[in-house]
Amino acid sequence: MTAKVSVKDLHKAYGDNEVLKGINLEVQENEVVVMIGPSGSGKSTFLRTLNKLEEPSSGEILINGFNLVDKNTDINKVRENVGMVFQHFNLFPHLSVLENVTLAPVELGKLSKEEAKTLGMQLLAQVGLAEKADAKPTQLSGGQKQRVAIARALAMKPSIMLFDEPTSALDPEMVGDVLQVMRDLAEEGMTMIVVTHEMGFAKQVADRVVFFADGYIREQGTPEEVFNNPQDPRAQDFLNKVLNV
Amino acid sequence: MMKKHTWLKYSWLMVTMLFGMIIFNTTTAQADTKEPHYVIATDTTYAPFEFQGQNGQYVGIDMDMLRAIAKKEHFTYKLVPIAFNSGAQGVLSGQFDAIIAGMTITPEREQVYDFGTPYYKTGIIAAVSPKSNITDLKQLRGKTVALKTGTGSAQYALSIQKKYGFKVTYFNDSNTMYNAVALGNAAAAFEDDPVMKYAIKNGVKLKIITQPANGGEYGFAVKKGQNKELLAKFNAGYAAIKKDGTYDKIVAKYLGSNESKFAGSAKENDSILGLLKQNKDQFISGVIKTLQLTVFGIIFATIFGVLIGVLAVVPNKFAYGLSSTIIYIFRGLPLLVLAFFIYIGLPSLTGTKIPAIVAGLITLTLNEGAYIAAFVAGGLKNVDAGQMEAARSLGLPYWKAMRKIIMPQGIKLMIPSFVNQFIITLKDTSILSAIGIIELTQTGTVIISRNMQGFRVWFIVALMYLIIITLLTFLAKWVDKKFSSN
Repeated sequence: MTAKVSVKDLHKAYGDNEVLKGINLEVQENEVVVMIGPSGSGKSTFLRTLNKLEEPSSGEILINGFNLVDKNTDINKVRENVGMVFQHFNLFPHLSVLENVTLAPVELGKLSKEEAKTLGMQLLAQVGLAEKADAKPTQLSGGQKQRVAIARALAMKPSIMLFDEPTSALDPEMVGDVLQVMRDLAEEGMTMIVVTHEMGFAKQVADRVVFFADGYIREQGTPEEVFNNPQDPRAQDFLNKVLNV
Repeated sequence: MMKKHTWLKYSWLMVTMLFGMIIFNTTTAQADTKEPHYVIATDTTYAPFEFQGQNGQYVGIDMDMLRAIAKKEHFTYKLVPIAFNSGAQGVLSGQFDAIIAGMTITPEREQVYDFGTPYYKTGIIAAVSPKSNITDLKQLRGKTVALKTGTGSAQYALSIQKKYGFKVTYFNDSNTMYNAVALGNAAAAFEDDPVMKYAIKNGVKLKIITQPANGGEYGFAVKKGQNKELLAKFNAGYAAIKKDGTYDKIVAKYLGSNESKFAGSAKENDSILGLLKQNKDQFISGVIKTLQLTVFGIIFATIFGVLIGVLAVVPNKFAYGLSSTIIYIFRGLPLLVLAFFIYIGLPSLTGTKIPAIVAGLITLTLNEGAYIAAFVAGGLKNVDAGQMEAARSLGLPYWKAMRKIIMPQGIKLMIPSFVNQFIITLKDTSILSAIGIIELTQTGTVIISRNMQGFRVWFIVALMYLIIITLLTFLAKWVDKKFSSN
């Protein structure tokens, strides 16, 4: 079986500042990969190259077999299959909660308005927000916004979900609900790549934990391996700080 | 990719169609006749040779003469009243076939125009305020003298400027020039003898202090080497009306000493209501022209501005460069310069005539559109970058994301700027009076040139602008409300 995501020798630089210095990573179907590491280590940039929100400087990225570096690849088609959830939710403020969810499948001709509405209500129910369907995003709490954002991404029926620090902008009491939705998704077998500082979530849900530092992947393995017996000194130092607060 | 092109094409098609409709309208209006048809320019304000009568039709020595000659010689013409200088240049650029506007025949002008038989002998006089103690040109030393741009009188004044040592200031129409002298802003004005006499007879508070000098002759002019047939017809017709006495009757009608006040009864001139009533039709047509310019100007400028504004934010260096250049040029040019360039400059280059209203609309579209483009670009840039990322991450193509996600949010931020720009557009239409569009401001000038009621007429015009602006603001607020509730 080929990998869902296959990255080879990926580099990304902004002018003279190289933030990714040769990343290699494969993610298999149904796998949940959690990426951890200090701020500025390149993990968010790396995640954003996977749906080409950041243009790689060199290297190879295959998503579902499509080569993102190839200019002839229709990036819109690739993105339809790759859902993304942002730290700051980025809900569309001029649309209702339900319209946020149904917009993409309707505009891209995947579903009729009626079908999209049915699916939208179903997804909102799944994230526990069916009663907010007609609300505007400004009327929601942070946690509710993020759950709507997840439903919005799921409406395109993606086979891969990317999460870019989905709980970092939330009040602590809101974090649990969002993580629960993500946990449910993982249990259903969604292929997920998650950048997060929630070590509990990583331990509990991840199939693999990847540790980033200085633009490199320094260490990776099962949660047990990485959390209980890190080999890389940077990883030891980082985990020591975040786990023993 | 397909979608993006069809969208752009669609908007462009709409613009060309609307422009086309206007051009088509104006051209069909003048076609449909077997007799030769000409476009003839005249001055907007040059009584007693040309000025608007109370029924809105142009009258005066030139006008009545032209009408009689056209009838005798079997041709039809469309009259375009326009500031003298623009009219004279318009003949050279091919915008008009001829000009009749009390135009003095001079050697310089003969190098570029062919003149018909001289039809009126004139001289230039100087006039001062009745309160002034100036009785001789020598007393003008160091003082400022008012001149009308591009006229023979102005040329004469300049030729004696050194000798008498006065300074000069220029005006575009006679009435403003007279008022400058009457109010003391200038010490004296130089003007053609018959024109000044007529004005004084109609209540202009000036007195003539010199004998007619530098006797000149008025001529009907075409561009040198062109419209020979029209010139021949004019000469033949002029000879005929001179012979049968029509010419003398016309001159007597406007300058005869037994003629009483020409500019309507004093009672009507004395009250604002009377003036309104008396000039009702002219005011209505002026308001309609102003509204047409405003409404179509706003529509075209908005389409143009949004297109150019969007170009500034697409991730493409060429599009960005194009957009910034267009904004830089058309926002940088004064509206008046742009209008003259399009109406008079472009036809000299391309040889194609542009109707004044079309030139006016193009001017508004480019100038107001550039301002709109600037704030559209700003508004779109102010929409959080995460919005575009979220839309693209769902698989929406760039233009669909722009239209469905960025534009609706950006436009909301832009609404106050739009309302502001619409009000500015309305006011800017008044500048287009300079290329001969008889909109509200020009209507005021034209009425004043007949009745000399400057204060009252400008009061009425100002009031009308305020009323239109109030209505426009109400409309904008209503649209804003509709938009916000959605």
